[in-house]
Amino acid sequence: MAATSVGRVLTLCRQFQNAFRISTSLAVQQSALTLTKSQSYLDRLTYPLLSSNWHCHVGQCRPLHTTISRRGLEEFFDIPENWGEATVKSGAPWTAKQLRTKSNEDLHKLWYVLLKEKNMLLTIEQESKRQRIQMPSPERLKKKLRQPLSLQIERSMKRLDTVVKEREDALRLLQTGQERARPGAWRKDIFGRVYWYRFREHALPWYMNKRYKRKRFYTPLFVTPHIRLRLEKHLRAKTRIQNKEREKQTVLQEKFPQIKAQSS
Amino acid sequence: MARRLIYPLYQIGNPQLRIFRPPFSLTLVRPGKEQPQDTVQFRILMEMTKCDVRNYLEKIYNVPVGAVRTRIQYCTNKKRNHLNQKVKRPDYKVAYVQLAQQQTFEFPDIFTEKDVKSAEGSVEEMQEKFMEDEKQRQKPDLRRGGVTEWFGL
Repeated sequence: MAATSVGRVLTLCRQFQNAFRISTSLAVQQSALTLTKSQSYLDRLTYPLLSSNWHCHVGQCRPLHTTISRRGLEEFFDIPENWGEATVKSGAPWTAKQLRTKSNEDLHKLWYVLLKEKNMLLTIEQESKRQRIQMPSPERLKKKLRQPLSLQIERSMKRLDTVVKEREDALRLLQTGQERARPGAWRKDIFGRVYWYRFREHALPWYMNKRYKRKRFYTPLFVTPHIRLRLEKHLRAKTRIQNKEREKQTVLQEKFPQIKAQSS
Repeated sequence: MARRLIYPLYQIGNPQLRIFRPPFSLTLVRPGKEQPQDTVQFRILMEMTKCDVRNYLEKIYNVPVGAVRTRIQYCTNKKRNHLNQKVKRPDYKVAYVQLAQQQTFEFPDIFTEKDVKSAEGSVEEMQEKFMEDEKQRQKPDLRRGGVTEWFGL
């Protein structure tokens, strides 16, 4: 049994090598390097891959830039050791607190690492659907309401986005004093409600834009009675909630006189 | 970068649009029909173009891309759920990417099952042994040459 498993691994490796016949020898060398280095690739979700920019401080030698992964299309799949296994270990998602400690370059690189990971998971999921086999450790790719997104990866990317947005907001406030990135204005729609309208870029001025003119930013006069009715409804609902709360409090006081009166 | 992004309008003379931290994902799929050796099949977002795919693969994955062709796959709106409501399967865009520099790509077989030998003396091992014995008993006698037991002797 052991011999056949070893044989299988060897055939897998051979298949893997045959599948990616890249002509350049340099790529082959580097791919061999990457195979040994990226053993616990998925474990190390807590730190981006060492895509090292070895800047020479002396200034005499040329700066050498070596990215670890020159593997091309192989990155759409898992590392060959994980092919065919039922469960694959994976790390925890990034938290916003951890991300805030990283520099902008690190965040930029991390975004691409997460993106590649997401692509890999999507590829494996599609392949498992095609082969009608369950995907290895499907909790990496949680399905929520028919949204096939890797929840952990999505969460990390969203948090990264939030952190970057915070930094951009701070920078813009300091430099220009503007609170929002996208310009807008408070406008009234046809129903009399006031909302924040965000501007869009157009190729024409607004008075030549027929589609824009059809969207009326004023309230016609016949809508005013409806606005009043809507207001009355809203006030009635609010008073109803308040009365209910007050009644509840009186009932509680009667039943349990020792309770302190809660101030709502 | 949220999904509802609006990119700046392009007019002649504007600077080239550059997207940092792209939110798009590609899915490599196994081709349903036979494709030439250098063609790779992807499923991409509906909003992506051929240029987007080319730049994505070249810059992020360092893959030399020759030609890219795309098509939109329309998925059915005919199926109905238990409430007899029509249910739409989402559409997707398919990109056929041909690799440059005479490279070839073959979709690997990811789900080859590895022979797992369970631990010695564990329950699984005994179960497996039992199942194997059962199977051995079920097999007909080879000396009969494929003739069933119905024929006496």
